[in-house]
Formats: sequence, structure tokens, C-alpha cells
Amino acid sequence: MIVLDKVSKKFRLSKKQKREMGNGYKGNFIWSVSDVSFKCQPGRIFTLVGPNGAGKTTTLRMIATMLKPSSGKIRVAGYDTVKNPEHVRKNIGFLTGSTGLYARLTPKEFVKYYADLNGMDEAIFKKRRDDLFDILDINEFANRRIGKLSTGMKQKVSIARTMIHDPDVVIFDEPTVGLDVITSRSIIQLIKNSKEMGKTVIFSTHIMGEVSLISDDLAIIHKGKLLYNSTYENFIAHMKTGTIEDEFIKIIKEA
Amino acid sequence: MKKTFIIFKKELIDTLRDKRTILVMIVIPLLLFPILINIATKITVKQRQKAEEKILNVALILNKNGGSFKSLLKGKKKINLKENVKEHEITNKIRNGNLDFAIIFNKDFDSKINERESGIVRLYYKSSEEVNIQKSRMVNLLKEFEDNLIFIRFKELKINRSIVKAVEIDEHDIASMKEKFGEKIGGFLPYIFVIFCFIGAMYPAIDLGAGEKERSTLETLLVSPAKRLQIVYGKFGVIFLAGILTAAISVFSLFLALKTSQEIPEEILTILLRIVDYKSILLVFTLLIPLCVFFAALLLSISIFAHSFKEAQSIMTPFNFLVIFPVFIGLFPGVKLDSVTALIPVLNVSLATKEIISGTIKAGLLAEVYMSLFILAGLSLYFCAKWFQREDIIFRNT
Repeated sequence: MIVLDKVSKKFRLSKKQKREMGNGYKGNFIWSVSDVSFKCQPGRIFTLVGPNGAGKTTTLRMIATMLKPSSGKIRVAGYDTVKNPEHVRKNIGFLTGSTGLYARLTPKEFVKYYADLNGMDEAIFKKRRDDLFDILDINEFANRRIGKLSTGMKQKVSIARTMIHDPDVVIFDEPTVGLDVITSRSIIQLIKNSKEMGKTVIFSTHIMGEVSLISDDLAIIHKGKLLYNSTYENFIAHMKTGTIEDEFIKIIKEA
Repeated sequence: MKKTFIIFKKELIDTLRDKRTILVMIVIPLLLFPILINIATKITVKQRQKAEEKILNVALILNKNGGSFKSLLKGKKKINLKENVKEHEITNKIRNGNLDFAIIFNKDFDSKINERESGIVRLYYKSSEEVNIQKSRMVNLLKEFEDNLIFIRFKELKINRSIVKAVEIDEHDIASMKEKFGEKIGGFLPYIFVIFCFIGAMYPAIDLGAGEKERSTLETLLVSPAKRLQIVYGKFGVIFLAGILTAAISVFSLFLALKTSQEIPEEILTILLRIVDYKSILLVFTLLIPLCVFFAALLLSISIFAHSFKEAQSIMTPFNFLVIFPVFIGLFPGVKLDSVTALIPVLNVSLATKEIISGTIKAGLLAEVYMSLFILAGLSLYFCAKWFQREDIIFRNT
């Protein structure tokens, strides 16, 4: 379970950023996320939709404890992200589309590294690694340097790294950005599998096709503010336009 | 602690698999000195041999003077005497390479000698690195000729030659070999290990900080259960080790170069190797440890701040000069280790090394150097750890 309660995040502006904001902007800070509250339930996929720069990544980074909220509270798997960040991180898997891998390690070493950081028992780790490598077809390149793998192979290794410690909560931050159709589909499949396993899944995207494919719950974020938060069914039922994309643009424009 | 070690181990494997780091950390320092010293000594020796063995074309214009010089010259090997050269041709012939030297006696040379005055002999040549060695052959010949003339004068006057030497300086240098050579070697050693320590730590630092940002691997590490402090200490450990190893390899390489060089005379080599004993080197390395902590923390802080590999490199380059400058100051004569210089980082290592190698280090000053370095190391590591916890630094590029 993920619970966000009136979460805000402000960033101090550098001189250069201030200049870029124009002469009209007088403050020293910018609110990247403002007063955002929502809940992600286990066994459901929560989709966070918003245009670029809406605050999706900042929100997910706060959930993953990389950033601290300026105000408000976040609880992940029962732990407060500020008070118990290590416990939170032990319970999450985090995957982004731009996630890099250590090119000089092999998939086996890479996955072991994260298993060790998660304090996994050796026997449990081996069993889980073998299962994941079988499911994802990693075995044939498990001992090759990651730098020599194709994009698709790398993404499979990323997935294995995300899931190796069997996290209760999985965070996907625009996981399909820049990937081909086949690799994107394997990510979507992973998200669905995570849901079936009863995990709490939060997924951010700006690709509307993906929203309709997997969402159980939907939130729309724009300029750091939450504009919509309900079930996907509700969203479809109350649409005033013909497509999800049009409805999304209408909500953004009305804000 | 366990997680710090896990991170350290992974970063070490990753670093040792990076060809660029291996090149800077091991290959260059290991090969640099043997290659440099062997090539330099071989070239010098060869040039000297060539200059000494060359048959010189020497024009001699006596102007009916100095007959004994001609026979002296004729008796010498590797000299091709040319007597029919006109005075006005000399400059051109030397410039064209037809002649190496020309010796011209002034017309009044013999009369001046007979009057017990100084006779003038002009020596023409075109100076260059090689000709300067050959020139000494000519000058030695003329000195031999002069010595003969002086000997005759003393004999004619019936006086002892020692009469012109009122004071004979009998020098007694009580400085030991260690002290004499120690200062010279001790001044040069920090140049090697301080600079190599910095350079050796630089590439892993860039790779483990800015490199992680550039490759987008930092995010996954930050969402692992490892604490920020554990991450920073794990990375710091590898950078520190790289710096120390590079410095050690560079010193080892220097000794290897000295030992394997066949051109360095045996007696000098024995003195050099006896002076730089293992105890002194170990003591010098204990100074390098806190200095390397400072370098590693400084470089990691810069690397974490930078957007990319390139930015980190461009910020670090000026720091190279900041490191070289104090070491260079330490080479100046008269700059000594005292209660003030002992507090100046890098310079204090440079000066203390000189004194350690010479065996003249004072315990009080050494303690001051350690204190200064350990405080600096502690502060820089504290700053680096704090720096790594700042969101605006870690996510500066997003």
C-alpha cells in the first residue's frame, strides 16, 4: 500500500533557472508537487498520468525516498518515507525507462549486487534468481558483460534487478520510454504479473494507449497538482469526449 | 558496514574492469619511469659518445706563432688538422659544416708570451648541444698548452708553482650521504607520488560519481536499502585505494627503473638505494594516507556535483595545478619545514618527505604535519558525506 497525504515538494531555483522563468517570477522556489494525496492499493495498478514536467517523477522519487517531501506524509508498505527510508526501500522495486546498468558487470553479478544490498538469504536469492532468469530468458547471456547486450536484453536484466527481492510495492516511472514494441510489451506484462501477485503497483506514463491497457486506478497530475483521482472505470464512465486522450487534454486545459 | 563493503567490492570490480582507469592507475605509472629513464640515459650516453668519438675538422692559423701547439695537436687522435684555411673563410666553413673548430693565434702571440704577458688565441665554433661537448676537447687542449707555457715561465723564474696559491681550501663536509642526496631525492619523490596519487584517484572518482549520473545508474543505487552514507563510503574507499595504489606503483616503478638502468653508475645507484630505505618510504606513505583521503573526498565531491563525465573532468583539471603548485614550492631552496609550512596541506607532505629521506625530520613538526593532514582529511570526508545527502546536488541535472 502507498498512501500520500497532502504531499508537496518545492525546489530552490538557481540563478539560471530564475532567468529562464522570466522577469515576472519573483520567488526563490518552485513547487514541483503541490498538496497531492492518493492511495495505491495492493493488487491494483495505479496509473499516474501527466504531461512532461507535471511532477510525476518527483512524486515517484518521493515515494521511493530519493527525495524528501517539503510537507505532507508518505507511507509505503506501512513505513514512513522520512522516518524509515531504509525499510521503505527494502519493500520497493523501482524501474524507469531511462534506468542504466553497469556495463562492466554481468547480469549475474548485477542482480547479485542488488540482492546483497537487500540483505537476501543466499539460498532464497539463488532460487529467485533462477526463476527470474528462466522466466525472462536471461540464462543464455547471464555471464556476458551488460555493455555487450541489446536494449531488450538490458531491459530484462533491469526487470530481474527490480524484482529480485520480491518487493511488495513496485514503482514504474515511464518504464517504456524509448523502448521498442516488443520490449514495451514485456514491461506491460511484468506490471500485470505484479498485480496478479498482489503487489501494489504505481505506474507513471504519458502514453494514453498504456493507460487503457492496465489501469485500475487513475490520477492525472499537471503542474504539480492532482486534477483527477478515481478508478479507471469511473474515468471512462464520466468521459465527455470520445477518446481517453481527448478527455485527458480537456482536463489539462480546464485546469 | 556490511553494505558499505558490498558497495566497495562492486565498485572495485567495476573500476578494475575499466580499461581507462587501469591505464592511468597501473600501466602508465608502471611503465613511465623505466621507459623515461632508460630512453633519457641511452640518448645522453649515445650523444656523449658520439661527440667524444667524432673526428673533428680543426683549422689552425698560427700566424707564425705557437709552434709547440701544432705538434701538441698533431699528437692527438681524432683530430683532422687543416692548415691551409684562410681567416676570412672560417665563418662560412664552420656554418657549412666543413669545419668544426678554428683556432687562430694572434700575430703578436709569441712576443706577448716572451714578454710574460697573455697571448690571445681565438676559438671559433658554432654552438649546439653536441658541439659543447666537443668544445671541451678543444678547451682542454688549449689548457694543456697553457700549462706547458706556465711551467716554462716558473722554471725560468726559478720559483715554486705553489707560490701563486696562498690559500688552499681543505673542505670537510660533515653532511652524510643520506643528508646530501636526501634533500634532492626527497624533493623529487613527492612530485611523483603526490601527483600520481591525485591522478590515480581522479578517474575512478569521475566514473563512480558523475559517471553514475551520466549512465543513469545512480537512481537504482539510491532506491536500494543502502544508506547514503554507506554508498558514499563504499565509493570513497575505492577512490582512496586507487590513489594510494597508483602512488605506490609509481614509486615502485621509479626504483625498478633505477635498478634496471644499465647506464647509471653502480656506485651512485648503491648510494641512492641505500638512502631510500624501506622505513623512510613507509613513513612517507603514512603521510600520503591522510592526503589521499583528502584527494578522494575532494574528487568524489566534485564528481557528485558534476552533471557529466566531461563536466567533472573540466572542474577537476584546475585542481591538478592546485596540487602541483605546493609540491613545486617545496622544491625551492630555502623553503623548509617549520611550524607554519607544516600546516599547509600538500606543501607539508613535500617538505616532510625531504626531511624524512634526509633523516633530519623533527618529531614535533612531523606530529604537526600529521595533525594538519588528519584534520583536513576528516573535514573533507565529512563534507563529502554531507554533500552526497543533498538532493540539489544529487539531482542537479534533473
